[in-house]
Amino acid sequence: MFEIGRLCVKIAGRDAGKKCVVIDVLDNNFVLVDGQTRRRKCNMRHLEPLDKIISLTKNASNDEVIRALKEESIGCEEKKEAKHKQSQRPTKKKAVKKKLEEAKPKKVKTKEAKETKKENTENPEKTETKKKSINKEHKSVE
Amino acid sequence: MPAPRYRSRSLRRVFVRTPSGKSVLHYRKRKPSKAQCGNCGALLKGVPRERPFKMQNMPKTHKRPERPYGGVLCSKCTRIKIKAMARQ
Ligand SMILES: [Zn+2]
Repeated sequence: MFEIGRLCVKIAGRDAGKKCVVIDVLDNNFVLVDGQTRRRKCNMRHLEPLDKIISLTKNASNDEVIRALKEESIGCEEKKEAKHKQSQRPTKKKAVKKKLEEAKPKKVKTKEAKETKKENTENPEKTETKKKSINKEHKSVE
Repeated sequence: MPAPRYRSRSLRRVFVRTPSGKSVLHYRKRKPSKAQCGNCGALLKGVPRERPFKMQNMPKTHKRPERPYGGVLCSKCTRIKIKAMARQ
């Protein structure tokens, strides 16, 4: 009844209603099945045999079983290799935060803070003048 | 004497142990009837008997067996049904 290559339907469990092929006979109660179901040991009582026999070798691999079942026009889900995508950490957010912090200096009422502020305001002008001077030099070189 | 609305048996009684060690009588709504097989009427296993608000918060896999017709037909009837479908 349950020889190697026998097409079956699983009756019990979460694979119930799915088609599978017997790959190996383990003893007089259990067989190894594969196909639409998971590849697993299975009690013969949980299988309903169909009248088709597929030519398969003992312990055929999952790919071979799927190929054989496709020829019988029985579709199977091919097992995909699990791809663990590394979660990309948001690096941009930190940069944005830093910019915001620079743009909004904390309000401190001490005189030193005011002085530093003034310096900060003065500095960009200096840098601009420097840049201008550099540009002029470049022009002269050209 | 309890309040008149608590004198009927439409609410079920639950003894609750308070933090101080007293046991207090609480009145709660009754649980719905047990789930039955749609074909033979047998009581279904693996289907909890809770009020809808509790069933809502449960994951789907806790509410019925994970097989075709799970939570609708009993395991015997599903076997018969799947066998009949396979033999056609
Ligand atoms: Zn039933």
